[in-house]
Amino acid sequence: MRRINWLGLAFLSPALVMVTLFFLLPVVLTGFFAFTNMSTATGVMGGDYLLNTSTLRALADQGLPKETLAKLEAGGYRVDEAGLAALAAATSPATADELAQLHAGAEFSDRRDMERALKDLRANAIRNTRDRKAATELFKRSILNERFSEEAAFRAALSETGTRPELSDQITEAAFTGWVWTTDNVKLLFALPSTLRYAANTLLYVTLTLAFNVGFGLFLAITTFYLPKGQGALFRAIWFLPRILPPVLYVLMWRWFTWDTGFLSTVSGYLGMSPKNWMLDTSYHAWTAVVLINGFVGASMGMIIFSSAIRAIPTSMLHASEVDGASRWQQVRWIIVPQLAWPILFITCYQTLSLLTSFEYILLATDGGPGRSTEVWSLAAYHTALSNYGGNLEYGLGASFALVLVVIGIGASLIYFRLFNFKRLITKPLIEG
Amino acid sequence: MQLDLINFTKRFGDTTVIENMSLSVHSGEMIALLGPSGCGKSTTLFAICGIHRIDEGQLMFGGKDVAHLPSQARNVGVVFQNYALYPHMTVAENIVFPLKVQKMNRTDREAMVRKYAELVRIDALLDRRPAQLSGGQQQRVALARALVRQPDFLLLDEPLANLDAKLRLEMRSEIRRLQQETGLTAILVTHDQVEAMSMCDRIALMNGGRIVQYDTPTAMYERPETAFVAGFLGNPPISFLSGSGLGLSEAQVAQYGVRPESFGPQFGSTLSGRVTFVETQGREDLFDVRLTTGEILRSIQPAGSGIRLADTVNWGVAHDKLLRFDQNGQRI
Amino acid sequence: MPAKNWPILLLLTVVTLPLLIMCGYSVIDAFTDTAPGSLVPTRFTLEHFRFLWEPVAEARGSIWVATANTFVFATTSALVVTMVSLTAGYALSRLNFPARGFFLAGLIVLHAFPTITLIIAIFLILQMLGLYDTLIGVIVVKTALELPLGIWIMKGFYDTVPWEIEMAGVQDGASRATVWWYLVLPQVQPGLMALILFSFLSGWSEYILPQVLAPGSDARVLSTYLSSLILDDTKADFNLFKAVGLFYATPVVVIYLLFQKHLMNIYGGGTKG
Repeated sequence: MRRINWLGLAFLSPALVMVTLFFLLPVVLTGFFAFTNMSTATGVMGGDYLLNTSTLRALADQGLPKETLAKLEAGGYRVDEAGLAALAAATSPATADELAQLHAGAEFSDRRDMERALKDLRANAIRNTRDRKAATELFKRSILNERFSEEAAFRAALSETGTRPELSDQITEAAFTGWVWTTDNVKLLFALPSTLRYAANTLLYVTLTLAFNVGFGLFLAITTFYLPKGQGALFRAIWFLPRILPPVLYVLMWRWFTWDTGFLSTVSGYLGMSPKNWMLDTSYHAWTAVVLINGFVGASMGMIIFSSAIRAIPTSMLHASEVDGASRWQQVRWIIVPQLAWPILFITCYQTLSLLTSFEYILLATDGGPGRSTEVWSLAAYHTALSNYGGNLEYGLGASFALVLVVIGIGASLIYFRLFNFKRLITKPLIEG
Repeated sequence: MQLDLINFTKRFGDTTVIENMSLSVHSGEMIALLGPSGCGKSTTLFAICGIHRIDEGQLMFGGKDVAHLPSQARNVGVVFQNYALYPHMTVAENIVFPLKVQKMNRTDREAMVRKYAELVRIDALLDRRPAQLSGGQQQRVALARALVRQPDFLLLDEPLANLDAKLRLEMRSEIRRLQQETGLTAILVTHDQVEAMSMCDRIALMNGGRIVQYDTPTAMYERPETAFVAGFLGNPPISFLSGSGLGLSEAQVAQYGVRPESFGPQFGSTLSGRVTFVETQGREDLFDVRLTTGEILRSIQPAGSGIRLADTVNWGVAHDKLLRFDQNGQRI
Repeated sequence: MPAKNWPILLLLTVVTLPLLIMCGYSVIDAFTDTAPGSLVPTRFTLEHFRFLWEPVAEARGSIWVATANTFVFATTSALVVTMVSLTAGYALSRLNFPARGFFLAGLIVLHAFPTITLIIAIFLILQMLGLYDTLIGVIVVKTALELPLGIWIMKGFYDTVPWEIEMAGVQDGASRATVWWYLVLPQVQPGLMALILFSFLSGWSEYILPQVLAPGSDARVLSTYLSSLILDDTKADFNLFKAVGLFYATPVVVIYLLFQKHLMNIYGGGTKG
């Protein structure tokens, strides 16, 4: 029998619990939520059964027979405990007692019948018309606008209205205020023309930003490499700022730089141009801003990784090429860049995935505008489910947007796992103890 | 304490590294596990101290099977190749660590540290950190730390590999002195035959996960059981050649082994050849002689013979020192 | 290298200029007044920092509540991430236990996973748990999402500790837990420091999580405080924004300048872009 090292599991367990609850569970639940119609209206935690005028309208659109609708709407009058108690409070206990003796449990479908019952009380007749009308209302029992927390209670009430039993399923479903399972989100995703638009925007965003990240990152790494040590370090430190500064502040700096009261407008004002919002003027402006804002952040990561890769190139190799009379450009082209193939692939893979899913900087900078020209997929998911002007947040639809990204994320992670041969990282511990 | 390893088998995944190996070390004895790299000698050492599991077989410490006990319960002191001193602790803290773990009280602890620091002669360095010590001093600290808990066995994993030539010589005798003074049973893992032969009572020569011979250094040198043993031990190495080169023909003998000191002018002049290589070592000269058959014999001679490269020599071999091996490399 | 560096220097300076202008004017504008249509400040003033001692109309809530919240948020999540990573990273780097390979592979896949895609599901989960719009909810989520990366980083630091140190500890009779505490932890102290700083900065800068999961004023942090100022389009008082931004960014810049070397260990090995 092998000794099992419980220490390992004990050391791992806090992480396991947290990661499972707030990392793996959301992954799985995104999949579930994508197939619900959850929204602000349905709430998140189940729901009640309620028929109101808008439900009736929806049912009418579904082709429910007119007479059934009328029955649901009309309701009737019933002399029950609750009504009697209310009556006793409104008039006198004696009135209520007498009504109970005569009509306890009676039902009237017409308002006038109920009124007559009250008028015809022998000892305590309610003579005043207005009082009688008010008292009549106390006995009105309608399914309309009444909230049922149990489905059975709703169905019972439904059958009391005289609705045909074969229609009750349809009505119950319509009356449910909570969320239900549905595949409508996915259908909608394929049907909406905006979906294609978001996908195209995302493709554009990822391609342009990635190209900028890698190209500019290379530029920074190579140029600072050729500078004296101190100067190179200074520039690298400056270019690391976009990455280290909080996103809100970083984007704020860009806003100031580009907005109509900001730097670019002021400078162009010196040249006699009228001020304008350089970030949101046209979709070209917006795209340039989006790519630069994200690109500066991404390039600093490229810069660091490429820099350390360049420093790993044996200097003898560079010296040799200088002795061979290579110009700097030739040195970069034929010696440095080929050595960076692997880091470039690495950066490309990692940033593709993170750009595909990130929307923080776009949200803060253009919020997808102008119009929806810079609305990328992940931002669309955010807008649909978590923040829109309409107010009805469609969690289910948003989740189905997100589900696409989650699936891509898992797929890409698995591909990278193979591509970068991460398996080699899984080595056995040397102490077998 | 007596140590017995019986039918020990070790696998890593699907590959069997060591199969059915047995080894006994007598109480107070120091033996060497000697062999080329990858022969399984370090694996054996790690199995004995408990870092590796023993897949099959028994490990007896003084007659008690400890194969399933964890390292901590085995009371074995180990000196690692790079000494594995704790870099954040002073020398004194390093040495006292095993006693702290045992929860020994402070005064006893300090007395023990002083005693063993004196034994390995580092009592002046107790407040230093490992990074401030020379290789030899680090080695001594590692020895003190291994000895301070009064282990049943002392295991040394290539203890001299990281030292320069002069220190290595010094520590060789130092380790042997400590082992003899403490009377510990010790196992030395090394790939250096000189270390093994000079420091140990017996040598277990390993190859391909098996012990090929287990004997005293002299016996192993003079009576190697196989051609591998003969070839592994001895520097400069033995020469192997066929019977025809020596003018011999005996049934069953596939090859002969001739030690360099058994070939020279003092053994006659039956073999003729040309000197193809001369190496002057100061006290002695080393020659390679190409015989007429094309085979090469090595010879070691006192310096000053005046023989030069490309000279033709007529020398002989000491026939009583000839080693004979059959087809399978077994000595006859 | 040959000495003709000035073309490179010039090129780099020109390219860096926008960034320098943005950063430079963030500081200048926070302390000065400038006439509209001009870039030359006219007078020094601390007026823009009035948010520190009096309520600002544009901002709902006090800056000090937001600061305290941010500090609690960043510190707690940094400490929890570091502590949990400290044990889990060690287990994955060094200990034998059932299904270790599976957990390791899972970690490698997870640490690169874009967590932001999970925000909708997390939002709903917090609503169901009743943790929506609470600071504690955001802290827990931030911690959990940061964990795979934290464990990954910590495992990397453990991997560099020589095995012999642990073997020696075990041979000296210490249990694996003792070995971890007394012998291995001191070796990964720089990594520990780096991870704490990294997670702290990450928490301090976090925007989306508090914005989505705790939009109420009780749990407001500095990032949402600043963004609510900015996104209130009625009047863009950039001087005020920059003063708030400067206040917000000071700890970040200070930590960056002091611990650049430590942090580069993590960003350099970087994963998420």
